[in-house]
Amino acid sequence: MKDKCRGRIEIVRETHETPEAVLERLKLAGGLNRFGQAHYRAVWGWNRLAWIGGKFEERDPSSGSLLREVVELRQEPKYPAVNRWHLERWMPPESYGSRRAWYAQTLEIADGQSVPALGPYPERGDYEHCFTLEGPHGEFVQLTATVAEHIARAIEWSRNKSRAARREAVGERTAREERAYDEHAFAILDDTVPAFHAQPFVCVG
Amino acid sequence: MPAQANANVVALQLEKVRDKVPLLYERDDILLTMIQQRGDVEKVSSRNLRLPLQVYPGGKAGSYNADGGDLGRGSGTFYDVAQVSPIFFRFAIEITKLVEYATNGRERAVENAAKREVANGMKQFRSFLDKLMQTAGSGVLGTVSSFSGTTWTMATPPGAALVYVGQTIQVYDPTLTTNRGSCNVVAADPISPTQTITIDVNPTGLTNGDVIVHDGLTGSNPVSLYGIKYHQNNATTGTWLNLNRATYPVQLATPRVNAGNAALTPSNVRLAINKVRKSLGINHVSKLIAYMAVEQEHAWENLGITVSQIIKEGGAGDGNDLDLLFSGRKTMSGVPIKSSVNADQTRVDFLDLSHWGRAVLKDIDFYEVNGNTVFPIYGASGGIAASYIFYFDTAFQVWDDSPRTGAYIDTLARPSGY
Repeated sequence: MKDKCRGRIEIVRETHETPEAVLERLKLAGGLNRFGQAHYRAVWGWNRLAWIGGKFEERDPSSGSLLREVVELRQEPKYPAVNRWHLERWMPPESYGSRRAWYAQTLEIADGQSVPALGPYPERGDYEHCFTLEGPHGEFVQLTATVAEHIARAIEWSRNKSRAARREAVGERTAREERAYDEHAFAILDDTVPAFHAQPFVCVG
Repeated sequence: MPAQANANVVALQLEKVRDKVPLLYERDDILLTMIQQRGDVEKVSSRNLRLPLQVYPGGKAGSYNADGGDLGRGSGTFYDVAQVSPIFFRFAIEITKLVEYATNGRERAVENAAKREVANGMKQFRSFLDKLMQTAGSGVLGTVSSFSGTTWTMATPPGAALVYVGQTIQVYDPTLTTNRGSCNVVAADPISPTQTITIDVNPTGLTNGDVIVHDGLTGSNPVSLYGIKYHQNNATTGTWLNLNRATYPVQLATPRVNAGNAALTPSNVRLAINKVRKSLGINHVSKLIAYMAVEQEHAWENLGITVSQIIKEGGAGDGNDLDLLFSGRKTMSGVPIKSSVNADQTRVDFLDLSHWGRAVLKDIDFYEVNGNTVFPIYGASGGIAASYIFYFDTAFQVWDDSPRTGAYIDTLARPSGY
């Protein structure tokens, strides 16, 4: 057993840098922000860390029972899907409210210590999640410049649409889902009925 | 031998579709049916289903003096038991003789009438139960903020979203103590900002602030389906599945983010998700879904950082490409979005449905008495009426064995236009 384990490398955290070509295409698709950074960027899940502060409960992985509690500010992967590429868009600092409002909302008091639950105020804005690259069944999809640009341009296109148009689109989807249920229901119920509703018929030709 | 009644023919038609009824009901497009009938739970009897919960860990950790010191005593894991008892729900469908006469051919007419009413009835029943899933367990479908004649303005949330035209509702005082009587909804407007419903006759004693509940509930503090607001709740008083919330104020409280009537922001979402991660472990959010009303889905889209529905509806001409290349799932900070027209318009719930289940006493089916599923209606004279009735019924309750695995954002502003 010891021999079998010898030489085996277990990768616990796989990191990837975004290819230069992707960054360039995203820059073209979305332009630059006031700080000269691209509006869009692609990041690998394990590379994208964010602040999390407060009281952490550490649990036994096998039983789920509580082992210890720690109050601290950590950097942890921001998104649940750590082994996927994510596309992000920059949001300006004002979209996070004022510095005062930020701390008013995010400050947590645990065991007598004040900890900002989302870390310090984003003075230069921050990048927020737009899209996770995954296949229809959640499978891995490789990041390419074309795919990244395609998504960024689609989001930019929809940003220019009115709120009313976006609302209408959501309404259309709801109506489509209603129709889908009706079709599904009648298809199921039709299954119980013989062909031509059991009326006699003959083949012609 | 008595003459064949039309109800017998309808019954035969219903029998044809009987095995299809669960297929119409169990479809993963509404929250209720996304919550599985769990395989690890025995079909329950009329007695309570018991859910053992590990509420406190066992063992005493610490250092000790190896030079003859006392190692102290230990402790064991502490369990308590949550209990669930199913509630019976029915949906009555009545068909008049005219429906049958409306099409040609006797066999086909009855078949069509039965088929259409089964499909429509099931859709409405699913919708009714899904609406109850949005509530806090007492069957409250709305609050009358004011009324003018028989038109009631409903407080938002949930406004008029949880009632449907033709529904029989009951009015209770705000403390759910006094039942003021019942009435029927003749119009409901869950779309416009005013959120009004119109009913046939006001119950005696109707007062601003009264609440409406569904038909069939009786007595004070009625119990109905335990919905999202029952399980995803940070209250430290009251009861939860027969446990006193005050006894386990931390274990039974779902993490909450109060948005303070402001619009949804990415910070709200991160705060909520992080609360789950802090209590359960950093990597324990992969099963979450973000459940919300279409209003909040729209609010998220308005931030301009997501793939908008407008793309997927084909507006950009390349929506199909996106669907082919990717799952096309809309996400909120990486958590898949599930939106509903029935959900609370001011709330986003993060749910781990692997902890939710349904304790089922009776699966959905036609209500049956001695093999009969269709029953005649009698006229005022005592003679037979030109219509007949059948019912769907089911008995179940919804549970969540770990309220801390979710989180919610509430008191969110609704986007303009709603």
